[in-house]
Amino acid sequence: MTAADGAVPRLVAVNLLGVVEHPALGDTPYRVNRDGRSYVPAGDGGIVMDLRLGDSVFGLDGDHAAPGACLVHPDPASRHALASYACIGNPARVRTGRAAGAQGAVVGKRGEEGRVIVAFGQDDLARLRPGDEVAVRARGQGLCLPALPPGVMAMNLDPDLLARLPVDLSPGGDAGGLTVGVRMSVPSRLAGNGIGRPAVAWDLDLQLPPPGPGGAGDLALGDLVAVTDLDARYNMGYRRGWVTVGVIGHGASPLPGHGPGLTPVLTGPVAALRPVPDPAGHAGLTAAMLKLQ
Amino acid sequence: MNVTTNAARLVRQVLAGEVWPALADRHAYRVGPDGQPFLLPGMGGVTLGVHCADPATGYASDHLEPGASIRHRDPGANMALQFLTCVGNQVRVASGPAAGAVGHVIGQHAYVLADFPDQAAADLAPGDAVTVLATGQGLALPDHPAIVVKNCDPGLLARMPGGTRPDGRLEVHVAARVPAEAIGAGAGMISEYANTDLMGAYQGLGDDLSLGLEGLRIGDVVALADADHRYGRGYRDGYLAIGVISTGQCMLFGHGPGPSTLLSGPADAFCLVDDPEANLAAWLHEAGAGPR
Repeated sequence: MTAADGAVPRLVAVNLLGVVEHPALGDTPYRVNRDGRSYVPAGDGGIVMDLRLGDSVFGLDGDHAAPGACLVHPDPASRHALASYACIGNPARVRTGRAAGAQGAVVGKRGEEGRVIVAFGQDDLARLRPGDEVAVRARGQGLCLPALPPGVMAMNLDPDLLARLPVDLSPGGDAGGLTVGVRMSVPSRLAGNGIGRPAVAWDLDLQLPPPGPGGAGDLALGDLVAVTDLDARYNMGYRRGWVTVGVIGHGASPLPGHGPGLTPVLTGPVAALRPVPDPAGHAGLTAAMLKLQ
Repeated sequence: MNVTTNAARLVRQVLAGEVWPALADRHAYRVGPDGQPFLLPGMGGVTLGVHCADPATGYASDHLEPGASIRHRDPGANMALQFLTCVGNQVRVASGPAAGAVGHVIGQHAYVLADFPDQAAADLAPGDAVTVLATGQGLALPDHPAIVVKNCDPGLLARMPGGTRPDGRLEVHVAARVPAEAIGAGAGMISEYANTDLMGAYQGLGDDLSLGLEGLRIGDVVALADADHRYGRGYRDGYLAIGVISTGQCMLFGHGPGPSTLLSGPADAFCLVDDPEANLAAWLHEAGAGPR
């Protein structure tokens, strides 16, 4: 099947193997925060309990804490493939250990060496152990929907999830283009770690202050957020008149240049992709949507 | 720079490195801002013909590293080399046909980058041993406690114009001012390692990519707005980072000419003076001819 047929190429699903990560530290436990004070990072990878989609990204004193378990692979190239092909909404099933058979879903990814964040029910998560094997049914990269306006590209998104997100795929509309409900829209100058990296394999840390005087509003895990003047089609980079929408997959970080992580799902010119912020009422990716316990 | 420092208390250390080869993989291509595939030289090896005061952009190159790109084979020793080497440190070639030639460090980019005169660079090749006289980390300005100095040879600081003003601020001459929107790859990294790629300097590509930075030169001292590099590299309203452009032309999206960090602190602790001559070439190198 080719583009000349006017047909959309069919997506391929691939079963990938991930291994539940154990957090790793160097010879010294300390990192240095943005004010120059040392701290011991907690929750930076591995299994994090009691953190769920819908919780504030600022709710725990963690470092990049993610809602569930991070998956990795001992072989670096396999790990990059896992992080690149896994898409938000993909099903994940535990294959070994006490939680064998438990079903979770991909809710985000992290860059650099590559991690896939999988949410589980808390009972399943409590039975999970670092080293357990989890199969991810990866499907979504290459997604090409006739409903998407010209110029808009989707990535990191299970095709079955798109209709459940606050994305208006109805054709037409007064202004044209695709409208997406988001918690907030942030300027590209707040883009931190992840800028200049491939959007299919990395998330973008947002350098957002916690809510309060001088801060922005609160932000929850699973929220959709728009970043203006950011083009994520190839690498993530500055382009005037573009916008990128993503899902918040992990929490804040004390490190300078780091913060809540956005896994990009849609990118396009502002005329074709229009985020609609709703600071109070927004609901993004939820556990119910993913059929988690 | 007319400023009191603790330079007399700094340690000088002899470090070893070698000129590192350019690296590629068998799939060859990377992807530009508009999806264009490219295969371009610039990183690793010895990049010839580009020196301080030369344009940073306008080359068929990616991540252009002027002069020799240097690492150490042992991972731990390499991190010490990368962290402890400072802009302005002397580098002497220790083996090969160019042995004895002297250059200077112009920055870091996960390699130590050293500029040599063309004649010496022509005889340099990957594998050649170099000796770095490392000094500068720990440099402090007692009269400017809010400003952190890093990656800066005290000799370089002494040669730079500016210094403590009667109003207590530190005067720094800069060739360009960079908006926060330009900060690309390198955000979130520690500020003693590699550099901060600046977007918006893709010469010859679309206006929607431009942030007006196409005129940068290698060696330019630049000021990054709303950047706090004291303990890493992050966005902070009302702070400044001062750096020296140590790498040039990029085609990879989200990347670009990059400053290695020299100074950072609250913006009101600085007095910036726009000065097109604020370039390493004015203090360490002759334009177009490598180091003096």
